Amino acid sequence: MAARANNIWVVWLTFALALLLSVSSMPKFMELGRPLWLALFLTYWVLALPHRVGMTTAWAIGLLADVLNGTLLGQNALILTLITFLVLTLHQRLRMFPMWQQSTVLLVVFGLAQLVQLWLNALTGSRPPTLAFVLPALVSALLWPWVCTLLRGLHQRLGVN
Amino acid sequence: MRLLVFTVLSAALMVVDARFILLQPLRAQLGLIVEPVYWVGRLPVRVWESATQELSTRNELAAENEKLKAEQLMMQRRLQKLAALTEQNVRLRELLNSAALVDDEVLATELIGIDPNPFTHRILIDKGEKDGVVLGQPVLDARGLMGQVVEVMPYTSRVLLLTDTTHSIPVQVNRNGLRAIASGTGNPERLELRHVADTADIKEGDLLVSSGLGQRFPAGYPVAMVSEVIHDSGQPFAIVRAVPTATLNRSRYMLLVFTDPRTPEERATESAQAQEALDREILQQAQPAQPAVDAPVAPANPPEAAQ
Repeated sequence: MAARANNIWVVWLTFALALLLSVSSMPKFMELGRPLWLALFLTYWVLALPHRVGMTTAWAIGLLADVLNGTLLGQNALILTLITFLVLTLHQRLRMFPMWQQSTVLLVVFGLAQLVQLWLNALTGSRPPTLAFVLPALVSALLWPWVCTLLRGLHQRLGVN
Repeated sequence: MRLLVFTVLSAALMVVDARFILLQPLRAQLGLIVEPVYWVGRLPVRVWESATQELSTRNELAAENEKLKAEQLMMQRRLQKLAALTEQNVRLRELLNSAALVDDEVLATELIGIDPNPFTHRILIDKGEKDGVVLGQPVLDARGLMGQVVEVMPYTSRVLLLTDTTHSIPVQVNRNGLRAIASGTGNPERLELRHVADTADIKEGDLLVSSGLGQRFPAGYPVAMVSEVIHDSGQPFAIVRAVPTATLNRSRYMLLVFTDPRTPEERATESAQAQEALDREILQQAQPAQPAVDAPVAPANPPEAAQ
């Protein structure tokens, strides 16, 4: 009976999980490289279900992330929308790529997103002084194969479409 | 096309959020989701802590109990002295005719989350608008000032710590009253004093206390300890670094300070009025018995009104 419904709630559940992971406590030295969980999960669902998860979803989740992180309303929303746009324009090609190539492309996409994040932070005055802002993008790109496999398993087992 | 729409929308939101207070109610309401998320996010830490507590042996508990008792004894000794000193302070201030120091009210609060961005020093505490927390309220731990509230949500609030790069606090050297401004550096163990003259009397080990000049923090709370003073002839000012006395990255329980919102003048007039009323009362009681006695001279700031 679960296969008949489109099970879109699974997508929202994973986003809730991503939000949770993005604020959960971590050891201090790992905080610099905190993966961009929201971006990772969003990328998977945009690639898998481009007709369901799009920029509107990305924007709404971004707003929630803004409230959660106490950043300016719209900052994360803008960045997630940007990522979704890039992934959507590339998604025909990305789906054909082998995993490592996907990771490489995503490294560039996330890196760009982090750069925009850096600019926006600089506008509001809290400017990180180092090049460490690319670290989360790198960690996220390395995590992509695992996240992708995990979510694909969930996706197929629960028949989300 | 849609990208354009959302980009413009986000940009507009950001500008409105940064420049106006229009979005504050919306933010506060959305803030309701924050607490459960952070609560679940800290669940592993909580479980770990309670597990270690459950599994700690009787000996360890007894040892901790001993330690706490000893600590309490020390505190009590200091408190005994403090009562006398407070009394003396009030009397001396009376002689000087200056506004008395008022003991601030506090509210205990617990840390529930840390900002995920490692470049900002902000924390989340478990008291919010419903507990009477206001914007700009100072936060202390057992050892000194920690920071101020920058965002109030219904049941939680966000606190900007002293060491954030966007934070500065007016301070005074406790030894001689030299004023300075301590700015955050982004390093949780360091503050920097800005624009301190090369000839200023400040040295390693000096205690910096809040001066209250910014009208945001109450005066007299410890802020930092000077750790090094560098006199570089190539620089226009001395480089002074200090270590915050509060354990900014370790404290779990904190105090929110409710300072008196009245200005010193208002406080002085009110206490004077209270004293007048008291004098009149005394006079009325004294009159039937000894009508010839003089009215006691009213000091500007009596200890009764200052409590």
